[in-house]
Amino acid sequence: MHATSRLLGLVAAAALFTASLPAAADETCQSPYLPKLEGQEDYVYIWTLGIEGLGDGSDKVVTVGVNPKRPDYGKVVSSVSVGGRHEAHHAGLTDDRRFLWAGGLDDSKIFLFDIASDPAKPKLVKTIDDFVEKSGGVVGPHGFYALPGRMLISALSNSGDFGGRTALVEYNNDGEYIRTTWMPDAAPYGYDARVKAELNRMLTSSFTGHANYMRKLPELMGDAEAMKNFGNTMVVWDFHARKALQELQVPGAPLEVRWALQPEHHYAFTTSALTSKLWGIFRNQDGSFEAVELADVGDPSKTPLPVDISLSADDRFLFVDTFMDGMVRVFDVSNPRKPVQVYEQKIGPQVNMVSQSWDGERIYFTSSLLANWDGSGGDDAQFLKVFGWNGEKLTPAFEIDFRAAKLGRPHIMRFGKIDFGKAARLDAPGTGLQPS
Amino acid sequence: MRGLRLGFGSTRAAVLAVGLASAAPVAAIEPAPLPPLLYTLPEAGSYELPVIDRVGPHSLLDAEGQARPVLAAPEGGVALIAFVYLHCTDARGCPLALASLQHADRAIAARPDLRNRVRLVTVSFDPGRDSPEAMRGLRHHMAPKGDWRFLTGASQADIEPVLVDFGQDAVPVMTEQGSNTGLMRHVAKVFLVDSEGGVRNVYSSGFLDHRLLMRDLETLLPGG
Repeated sequence: MHATSRLLGLVAAAALFTASLPAAADETCQSPYLPKLEGQEDYVYIWTLGIEGLGDGSDKVVTVGVNPKRPDYGKVVSSVSVGGRHEAHHAGLTDDRRFLWAGGLDDSKIFLFDIASDPAKPKLVKTIDDFVEKSGGVVGPHGFYALPGRMLISALSNSGDFGGRTALVEYNNDGEYIRTTWMPDAAPYGYDARVKAELNRMLTSSFTGHANYMRKLPELMGDAEAMKNFGNTMVVWDFHARKALQELQVPGAPLEVRWALQPEHHYAFTTSALTSKLWGIFRNQDGSFEAVELADVGDPSKTPLPVDISLSADDRFLFVDTFMDGMVRVFDVSNPRKPVQVYEQKIGPQVNMVSQSWDGERIYFTSSLLANWDGSGGDDAQFLKVFGWNGEKLTPAFEIDFRAAKLGRPHIMRFGKIDFGKAARLDAPGTGLQPS
Repeated sequence: MRGLRLGFGSTRAAVLAVGLASAAPVAAIEPAPLPPLLYTLPEAGSYELPVIDRVGPHSLLDAEGQARPVLAAPEGGVALIAFVYLHCTDARGCPLALASLQHADRAIAARPDLRNRVRLVTVSFDPGRDSPEAMRGLRHHMAPKGDWRFLTGASQADIEPVLVDFGQDAVPVMTEQGSNTGLMRHVAKVFLVDSEGGVRNVYSSGFLDHRLLMRDLETLLPGG
């Protein structure tokens, strides 16, 4: 009866500290509903845009070995094309980490890959090609955020005018449509959607619609009227009820949202792309939220265009990539209302996405923002670059030239581990699984 | 072997966990008071719980070894179904699911408008060790006040189709040498299922709190 006795002890303990349990997450920017990948990741899955005339020219999931103890370290392990170019952009793992969902911003197709059967070789198992019809006219499936048993998809546009009014769409893990929740009239744009479970609050951010994001960047920036059609708002939601509670003014297209990861930290960060500002979203004593401009990211007059951000698991370091100058800037956000930039490094032209391991020791960067925005600075380099981080500086580990490898434009990265397939190893904890 | 991570919990919780873990056999336990929620619960009926998925009929063994349907919601009512295993050492996993169900059991039993319309079901996905007798022991310790069934399988083959249908993962944890540790990696989930097999919500850590479960029950089962 020892097992039962231990279990019952934990039942009593769980009842006591339910509300203080930290949300599980893996590479710090993932949904809190995913099994945690705390140790060394084996693979990084990179959703990659095809380039006409380069390789097969198709969008694809590229799997790269990233475990230094394995023979495939630093190498492309596999590449699975989906056929055609769909404006590959973001992707996300299901709540059991068995499937990777990847979206196309242009034609709104969604591709489901099985990454559990053979973690080294994702297999395309389903294509959702009626997202617009099923969702009631939502266009541009962008974020893929795992919820228990389902996927929350934050979109960018609509089929009525291809502008920025958009919605949140939910599918179950089998790829079946559940429901659509349109953004409120006062804050119609969408981009990211992130949940702080302890607070039952979701934050959404805003970008622009299909009519803008599919245009050439220089042309778009020269169109003053079109440039008005970017979002300047974030929305605070009652997540459980899917009800918008509060609209926050955050001028200049607030993009990625990162809630602090420690349970007692009731705040989030974002950066505004067009105004190059770091913002904090703080919970007030009455439970409402306020958006506070915290710092410049680079020189806003030069429009460095902050894109992806990544917060360390201890809520200390915030990495901010800027697309136009190819830089990463690291802010110490230990005091969230007074961030201090402590480091900067040129990563490479048009750096965009950044992901970090749960222990914060490995930082991954990719280039590419959008097919029609890449190369605006004259250099259309495409790369994965991996660094070590010791809390003070980045040290190069390896890089892969995605042009030379004839792969395409690497965008979002998601981590994988062999043990998340058919069996787990003792050193590969699952959702908080801590063998004792 | 690593110890249970308790650094993020309260000292009181840690002491209680260690104390009970070392004291066998254990009598029936009562749910401990919960800290206040950090948010205001949405009003019952102010939101929707659309069908997320559908699960089919399955039969397993109850704590007396008799075949019982897994999907056992009373007609017009709902079932809360949790998948667990008794060797779980993850406070955020099976113990949290059981604690939440135990709280829900007490809260439902105190509600005349709900107590005949909600059934709790705990299913073991480790039938090799969690026999009907073991589940009977768990039932004794949980001391249900309402309609709460404890199910397991005659074999792993009995359980697999149920896990697949619900989308519940459960994977053995192996050592580097390939031997089974006896632990299982899984995402702790509780399923809210209506009497027609429609999954109306799925809860995992973060939202695995009986106060939210109760609000969902009130939303799906208004009136008396």
